[in-house]
Amino acid sequence: MQVEATPGTAWLTGLAAWFIPGLGHVLLKRWVRAVLMGGAVWVCFFVGLGMGGHLFDLSASEGSWIILQIPPMIANIGTGALYIVSWIADYGFADDPVRAARATYEYGNTFLLIAGLLNYLNMLDAFDIAAGRKP
Amino acid sequence: MALFAALASIIFGAMAKDTTRERLIYGLKVFAEFMVIGLVLSWILYFIP
Repeated sequence: MQVEATPGTAWLTGLAAWFIPGLGHVLLKRWVRAVLMGGAVWVCFFVGLGMGGHLFDLSASEGSWIILQIPPMIANIGTGALYIVSWIADYGFADDPVRAARATYEYGNTFLLIAGLLNYLNMLDAFDIAAGRKP
Repeated sequence: MALFAALASIIFGAMAKDTTRERLIYGLKVFAEFMVIGLVLSWILYFIP
């Protein structure tokens, strides 16, 4: 069986799709996909933040283990630059009891986690299209 | 829940299948599944103390 090499542009497209949700499809000139799929991630992320959701990093809060922060952190990192900018601005990471008391807090967490996981799907989709594995 | 279902089904629908019509139908199906399962689970949990 002959295995075709994946073009370097496919890896770059995948990286771009991860870093800025929707950018991968923009580079591929798949405008509708970029708006729908990238837009869904952006909306999901900002709705999550608006609901008072919490982003995860490796700083464990009191009474919790760092290792338990890793799976949700991986999900959050899926949002790429959105996560990085929030991390640099230190927005959404603090263990704030006022935010945690909001009725929408857990919903916000879920939206933030799902935003990252959905963007991983976007990334794979852009990669597959760029690699010619998908029409 | 409806917003969550809509956002997730947009991406699932866009990724799957070959034609636009098939994608639309699949996206709507996923949305309906999210909603129905969410409501059923909510009612089950409502009766569990």
